[in-house]
Amino acid sequence: MHSPRWQKLWRDLWITRGRTAMMVIAIAVSLFGIGTVLSSYAILTREISRNYLGTNPSSATLELDRVDDALVEAVRRRPGIAGVEARRSLVARVQVGPDEWRPLLLFVVPDFNGMRIATFKSVGGAWPPAEGTMLVERTALPMVEAAFGEKVVVKTPNGPRHEVLISGVVHDPGLAPAWQERMGYGYITPATLEWLGESGVLDELKIIVSDGTDDPAAIERTARELAGWLEAQGREVHEIQIPPPLKHPHQSQMVAILLMLLIFSVMALALSAILVATMIAGLMAQQIRQIGVMKAVGAQTRQISGLYVVMILLISAAAIALGAPISVSAGRGFAAAVADLLNIALYSQAIPGWVFGVQAAAGLLVPLLVALGPIARGSRITVREAIQDFGVSQERAGGRGLLGWLSGLDRTLLLALRNTFRRRGRLVLTLGLLAAGGSMFMTGLNVKDAWAQNLADSFANRRYDLEIRLSRPEKVDGLIARIGSLPGVAKVEAWGYAPTALARPGVVDVVRTYPDGGHGSFSLRAGPAETDLVSFPLLAGRWLEPGDSDAVVLNHMVYGLFPDVAVGDMISLSIDDRPSVWRVVGIVREVGSPAAAYVTDKALEQVIGLPGHARSLRIVTGESDPAGRGAVIQSIERALAEADVSVSMVIADSELRTAIGDHIAILIFSLVAMAMLMAIVGVLGLMSTMSTNVAERIREFGVMQTIGGTPNSVLRIVVSEGVLIGLLSWIIALPLSLPLSDLVGTVTGNLAFRTPLPLVVSPMALLLWLAITVAGAAAASIIPAWRASRLTIRETLAHI
Amino acid sequence: MRQQQQRPGEGPRGALIQARRLSKSYDTPSGPFPALRDVSLQVRAGEFVAVVGKSGSGKSTLINLITGIDRPTAGEILVAGTAVHSLSQEQLAIWRGRSVGVVFQFFQLLPTLTVAENVMLPMDFCGNYPVRERRSRALALLERVGIAEQADKLPSALSGGQQQRAAIARALANDPPVLVADEPTGNLDTQTSDAVLELFAGLAAEGKTVVMVTHERDVQRFISRTVTLADGALVDAPVAEVEHA
Repeated sequence: MHSPRWQKLWRDLWITRGRTAMMVIAIAVSLFGIGTVLSSYAILTREISRNYLGTNPSSATLELDRVDDALVEAVRRRPGIAGVEARRSLVARVQVGPDEWRPLLLFVVPDFNGMRIATFKSVGGAWPPAEGTMLVERTALPMVEAAFGEKVVVKTPNGPRHEVLISGVVHDPGLAPAWQERMGYGYITPATLEWLGESGVLDELKIIVSDGTDDPAAIERTARELAGWLEAQGREVHEIQIPPPLKHPHQSQMVAILLMLLIFSVMALALSAILVATMIAGLMAQQIRQIGVMKAVGAQTRQISGLYVVMILLISAAAIALGAPISVSAGRGFAAAVADLLNIALYSQAIPGWVFGVQAAAGLLVPLLVALGPIARGSRITVREAIQDFGVSQERAGGRGLLGWLSGLDRTLLLALRNTFRRRGRLVLTLGLLAAGGSMFMTGLNVKDAWAQNLADSFANRRYDLEIRLSRPEKVDGLIARIGSLPGVAKVEAWGYAPTALARPGVVDVVRTYPDGGHGSFSLRAGPAETDLVSFPLLAGRWLEPGDSDAVVLNHMVYGLFPDVAVGDMISLSIDDRPSVWRVVGIVREVGSPAAAYVTDKALEQVIGLPGHARSLRIVTGESDPAGRGAVIQSIERALAEADVSVSMVIADSELRTAIGDHIAILIFSLVAMAMLMAIVGVLGLMSTMSTNVAERIREFGVMQTIGGTPNSVLRIVVSEGVLIGLLSWIIALPLSLPLSDLVGTVTGNLAFRTPLPLVVSPMALLLWLAITVAGAAAASIIPAWRASRLTIRETLAHI
Repeated sequence: MRQQQQRPGEGPRGALIQARRLSKSYDTPSGPFPALRDVSLQVRAGEFVAVVGKSGSGKSTLINLITGIDRPTAGEILVAGTAVHSLSQEQLAIWRGRSVGVVFQFFQLLPTLTVAENVMLPMDFCGNYPVRERRSRALALLERVGIAEQADKLPSALSGGQQQRAAIARALANDPPVLVADEPTGNLDTQTSDAVLELFAGLAAEGKTVVMVTHERDVQRFISRTVTLADGALVDAPVAEVEHA
């Protein structure tokens, strides 16, 4: 590196260190994005396997009338069964304040030490829990609002209230975090269940199939065969639960987030590649006379291009050295955040070598490939062309034609306008870079707002703020009058509620529900046809009407279970183990809910044969502040307790908002982070372009000063030019951001919640990007223009 | 006027540079512009030739054709037996690095290299001299042009005359037989100009062939002969070697 040409390379890099640093930072930022995503992807995919698959999740769960040891042993010997265990789960309630309760999902395990299926691990305290005590999942402690060693009041559907000691804490990677689901997870023995007032009988058979553990069809086949055999043995099989095999309940969210991040990171890399091309083109334009001189003293084209190729490689290497280590830390941090979302523990944060390989390849090759064009063009220039280059464009100025009519405009602005359009190739690249950065920035914030809009819409569609699910059907007449008369209660409606499944004649229902009972569940909801408490946007058909006796309206989540269902189809639903046939009259969009089928209350009464009964109450409290609403909930709880009505679950609007908000919080965070990343690369591009523009026109500024231009007029022209480029890019970025926002919103919305996000144009994004481009352009222009304006005429004219 | 001697590599009748019916025209918006018309010229080794004429007379075009910086529209140009007009750009670069030293009016030293490094640059590109010899050769050349003490300074720290001497040293780096200078004194004061012209004369006396475009009138005491151009054509031939076909 002691030869003059390499000395020149080093010193050129040093002299243009501002621009060199911008190139390094721009590439490093995009490599940081890619590295972060790939690192977290590598960690998460490995750790999900280690965690979720490490629990040995059941292939299927069969709900029976009762399961005993003899049955378990008999099933174990059946063909196609690799493992079997008996369990039970039920929804109880835990008291978190005076007359304030949260759902508590209780898992009943007969043998904690002999567990082989759907296992969980102790992270502290007793193992197994003694009678009258329970273990609590680590993410559920905030939900039960108690700590290890404290007692909580628990009430099961049929039992009295009991104080239960939290004797230990466990980690159950098979469940989504409790804080997201807004419920507690407890683990007890059958003896404790009996102590709580319920029958200690187990009713779930968890099985692992021996073949096709990752094939839902194979699992269903084996589970149905087993169900048939069990029924032949005189057992009642109510339902078969087959969640998506080997897939964590929040895996699709994780994939959505990582996919979105990867898309943005690749876009950022493309953006920084354009930036590199722009900068290299600018650098070569600035050094055109030097290239001419080098050729005049014997340099060949390959020697010149070799210099600039090495320059790019050095810049890329510096960017990799800067971006890769930071991306490792960020990737680990992001993986930890997503691990929280998935409720998995990161046993190792090691990042495999291929992640660094991809980063190095992307960092070295992409900038090099995009820079090859400008390098080849710049290196091929002849000595005559180079020596005769005055830094002033040979291209036709845009002044006389397009801009000629602007003769009344301020001279400075007119000159800036003409300068802007003079190097059209450069202008196109700069505008492309900025517009791409701007559109991605706006896309990030648009999609963020679309999520918020989606949620706001979904809550606007639910015009009640409290749903109370009852443990069993209750007569509603007196109940509605009693609750409706309570202070703070504006309206009460009785709704039917029942878990359901697509029924097939003569076979057991199969549902896709996870063990938590929420993810993948499918329920039937029945309200008054003329209700105004819900109003979902119709995707097809119509909403329910009075007199509908066999009509059903499905929400869009049902597409996940029956992808081909359409309006007009007749479907058979299993309700309380009884099949009933319904005509699909409409499909609605319902964000934040599991799959649901809506029928009229009258129609459901006919099916289940319990007229005047309901399983849930939907209540409008008329209270807007949380404290007031809490007080109303407490008074409702008291009234229901006095009426001896057992409550299964209270779903407050605020809890639901928190739950859904928590589900997408990391998505929103990622979108904003990506928007910022785009903004950084875009502004770096603008800054580098402006400094290149100024640098290559130093001689021109000298000429201007010889004919009466002042340093201030030079400054005004350059800054106006920068601001003009910023404004133009903003105008181009606007329409570009719309299809991009639509695409990202559709992909991520479908992956996360099975519905495309609405196209939302965020005014904040528009204004913010306008401010960033204008301020960035002005800032990017002022420093080089000020430097240029301070040069003497002699210095500018001697500039090589 | 100085006398010239015949040198190895000279062409027919002892000419190192032979221009045969050279024409060059440029395309302009108002049609082709003839910058050089049917010019024939021979320069012997060791000659110091001044090309003079008004602005736009074709002086720079002529030396651009001699150095291969530009290509003739018609005619031939041979330098030390090489048909310059027929070389590709890559061949030209190699040939130029070894056979011609170019000196510009504005010196055109690379601003980020020291004076010595500027002189070493042609050796670096052409590889004529082993790496370990390059610096000592550069220092010897700088000694030759009288600015050895400025070797490790950047060009911006040198006066105009010193920069032009550095540019001459750079032109001599690969020991080319021909030096071509385009108004080398155009940016210098009289005293410094005389020193530079003296330097060229000395080089010619040592056997280098020097072709220089100049506006200076008082150069007769340094040069072998003058070639005058007007409107792209030779207007007189004070020395017998100049042919005007």
